[in-house]
Amino acid sequence: MQTHHVTQSSDGPPALVGADRWLSKLEDFFALLASLCIFALMILGIWQVLGRQLFNAPISGYIDLVELSMATFAFMAVAYCQRLGGHVRMDLFVRMAKGRLRWVMELITTVLPLLLIAVLIYYSWEHFVRAYDSGDSTIDMEYPVWPSKLLVPLSFSLLFLRLLIETFGYWRLILHPDATPVAVPQILTEEEIARKEIEDSKGGA
Amino acid sequence: MDSFTIGIIGVIALIFMVFMGMRVFLAAALVGTLGLVSIIGWESGLGMAGTIPHSKSVSYTLSVLPMFILIGFLAFHAGITEALFDAGRKWLGWLPGGLAVATVVAATGFAAVSGASTATAAVFARTAIPDMLKYGYNRQLAAGVVAAGGTLATLIPPSAILVIYAIIVEQSVGALLVAGFLPGIVSALIYVLLIVGISMVRPEMGPPLKGFTWSQRVKSVPGTFPIIVVVAIIFTAMYEGWATPTEAGALGASVVFVMAMAKGMKLGTLRDALMETAKLTVMIFSIIWGVLVFVRFLGFAGLPDAFARWVVSLPFEPLYILIGILLFYAILGMFMDAIGMLLLTLPVVYPAVIGLGYDPIWFGIIVVKMAEICLITPPIGLNCFVVNGVRPDIPLNQVFKGVGPFFIADVATIAVLIAFPEIITWLPKMMNM
Amino acid sequence: AEVDGPEVNWRYSVWGNPRAFTAGIEHLAAQLKEKTGGKFTFNIGYGEQFSRDRENLDSIKLGAIDGASFCNFYHPGKNPAFMVFSLPFLPLGDWDVNVAARQKLYAHPALQKDMDQWNAFVYAGAVMPQYEFMGNGEPPKNLEDWKGKRVRAGGGIGDAMEKLGARKTTTTATEVYTSLQRGSMDAASFPYTYSHAAYKIPEVSAWFTSNMSPGTSACPTVFSKTSYEKLPPQYKQLLEDLRPEVYEVQVQAYKDIDAKNLPEFREKLFEVVYTPEQLEELRKIAAKPVWDEWVEANKDRFDGQELIDMIVEIANSAPKK
Ligand code: NA
Ligand code: NA
Repeated sequence: MQTHHVTQSSDGPPALVGADRWLSKLEDFFALLASLCIFALMILGIWQVLGRQLFNAPISGYIDLVELSMATFAFMAVAYCQRLGGHVRMDLFVRMAKGRLRWVMELITTVLPLLLIAVLIYYSWEHFVRAYDSGDSTIDMEYPVWPSKLLVPLSFSLLFLRLLIETFGYWRLILHPDATPVAVPQILTEEEIARKEIEDSKGGA
Repeated sequence: MDSFTIGIIGVIALIFMVFMGMRVFLAAALVGTLGLVSIIGWESGLGMAGTIPHSKSVSYTLSVLPMFILIGFLAFHAGITEALFDAGRKWLGWLPGGLAVATVVAATGFAAVSGASTATAAVFARTAIPDMLKYGYNRQLAAGVVAAGGTLATLIPPSAILVIYAIIVEQSVGALLVAGFLPGIVSALIYVLLIVGISMVRPEMGPPLKGFTWSQRVKSVPGTFPIIVVVAIIFTAMYEGWATPTEAGALGASVVFVMAMAKGMKLGTLRDALMETAKLTVMIFSIIWGVLVFVRFLGFAGLPDAFARWVVSLPFEPLYILIGILLFYAILGMFMDAIGMLLLTLPVVYPAVIGLGYDPIWFGIIVVKMAEICLITPPIGLNCFVVNGVRPDIPLNQVFKGVGPFFIADVATIAVLIAFPEIITWLPKMMNM
Repeated sequence: AEVDGPEVNWRYSVWGNPRAFTAGIEHLAAQLKEKTGGKFTFNIGYGEQFSRDRENLDSIKLGAIDGASFCNFYHPGKNPAFMVFSLPFLPLGDWDVNVAARQKLYAHPALQKDMDQWNAFVYAGAVMPQYEFMGNGEPPKNLEDWKGKRVRAGGGIGDAMEKLGARKTTTTATEVYTSLQRGSMDAASFPYTYSHAAYKIPEVSAWFTSNMSPGTSACPTVFSKTSYEKLPPQYKQLLEDLRPEVYEVQVQAYKDIDAKNLPEFREKLFEVVYTPEQLEELRKIAAKPVWDEWVEANKDRFDGQELIDMIVEIANSAPKK
């Protein structure tokens, strides 16, 4: 279920709150780039279809361009989504756990991925280096592939920092189970999730 | 320890991590990475895990996902819901339970621009329920029809979940999208029959709404044109082959975009819609690559093959095994999100189902319909929570009671689709896909 | 068992399902199992089970798999010298010439160097059939008839076709059928006759070319050097001994398909056969410039002209049929 949504609170250790704010800005910026690329993909699609159907002039290397651009929206918003609790999880048992036990569970399920992402940053960087060194290129127009591969370790670095901040956040809550949660996603009740869905769907209409 | 045993341990470890509350994409990638390391060693295993996120995400067929998601988010701002419901009530209001029927028909139309069930339910809870209550409709019926009607969004294209199924099992995206269309209509028809039936036996539950002139009816049609345009784009693109799913998605999104701008969508709202699209898109991509790390590990462990051989060798009729698998999905769906559930289970379950002789496209639709049913069943029937959230005056237990008949209708739909698989396979075959 | 030795388990990565393209490695897997009494298992991971098609070389370098198929055109930058096979209008239409040229060139230092960087070497070539065009509308009986035709052709073939005045379009292979049917494309090049039939192109076409040879691709079977070095000598010898059969089985698989397809093509479609003079003209106006550009672009890395000359020479010295 997508059950998490963050509330920004400043009622915590200044270092943690500050780091959270600073990283949030960077995450927002990356997510904005990803969303602009999605919009650009729409424009490119129209251009391609109209160009091909009406003027018999398709964009050469359209598939190459789309594939190269995909790393933006496949990865760049990954930390942003983590902050907002948007990644799917099953929180049935976390929900049932109360007090310190809940925070211990949260810490474990944050620290292990933190280590994983650290490893993946290194090896996705290696993947980028192989592409850079060998001159790996796309099928049709032979565009270089490395910039697209570079986005993976870059985006994972933000995710690493986000998980690190969450780790400190949960660690603090284990020490002080009754403190106001800071810099961690909040668990919402089913009713709150539903309300969130409804807010989202209201939009500006 | 042999690879197969490591594979089994991996499956158990993954289940444990997911139950602990780890994000599905991280849990799958973590277990998959450790599994690869245990089979092919540190350097090779970690190296492979580091290549999968990029190599599996950057694939042209997947680029349709953000386009479909964007269509859904922009549709809210294009005023399409109101127009559809208005046309529905003017043309079909005279039927027994006419407003509920109109809700189903409008939800079917809205499904053509939305891939998200909960969003559809939320929108119609605001549009259709007030009207139904105004004309004295039974509260449970009004709430139930909205919660159930929302589920149509994932069968009728555009549908992100069908694209994901197609990619995991390496079937044509176009064929899956087209295949969902008729079952979506059949589901809607069964809902309509149910409503009409209930309202004929107990007319007080859903009185007909009469008195619209033909001129009023005709005037209500133009508002629904964007839907017709989007459906026409996606279908003719698949049928005539003049555009790929991604290109068709881009065209559909731009139609809805222009519509929303014409309705006065502000730049800030556009930005929010784009950010929401980016968030949902990265969520789906993350879970795709995360699960594919796990799937790669399963492949090295040889587990899917072994499981498929075991299932095929079971001394039961394929139909009984299939029903067993569907029951397993019904239970799993009570606790899990549909996309996560499909991605986690398909790599193992799919080869087995194909081994039993079932059609890949057909099974995709069945399994997605199962996942949709779970959206209206307790304990986490999210659509019901959404309806209750919009209408706090209708208590949750009344909403669940209200969807009861629709749940039975859905089980009937599954039975119909098993008995007449052509409902699913005919259209893609006819379109040469 | 004929060959005794330790237990070895190799993983081989390939995309898609079993088909003519995989006939060679399937034969190899079966023979290894039989000859070693099941000691040397050659585990073919279909459907990218072990690695994605475009990352097969990466996976070999990482030591995750022991062997794989890959295609040169998936990533020109990863294997620049291998792109020689994708040059347009090389005289590779004959099966014997095709096999001989591949064996000779895979042993060339330039191509070996491409594979060195991936810790790989070519065990055997996949004998990809030559491409040919199939299409709708007026058959291009003369070279001038190509002017204005919208054709699907990638890489060097596409460049050469543009030199003939055709327009290049790109679509995925599965979309070609509908594009031809609807008329948004006039012709498409595919491995002949195998892929034309696989994608049902004859159903929506009026003609085909049978000796134009617009180009082909190189999709060899490569092994990891590390994995190979670890093998005991008797297994290495066995792999060497089986190599000719691997080629034979492949060629036979494609010949069987041709024997079934060609009569059907000829019955239904108009066959465009170019005269030797026309082919000469074709090479001069469309191929030579593309060849020269390719040689020039790679001159710092290897002598491309030498590779081209080798292929032409093998073709010229082959017995005429
Ligand atoms: Na939909
Ligand atoms: Na449920």
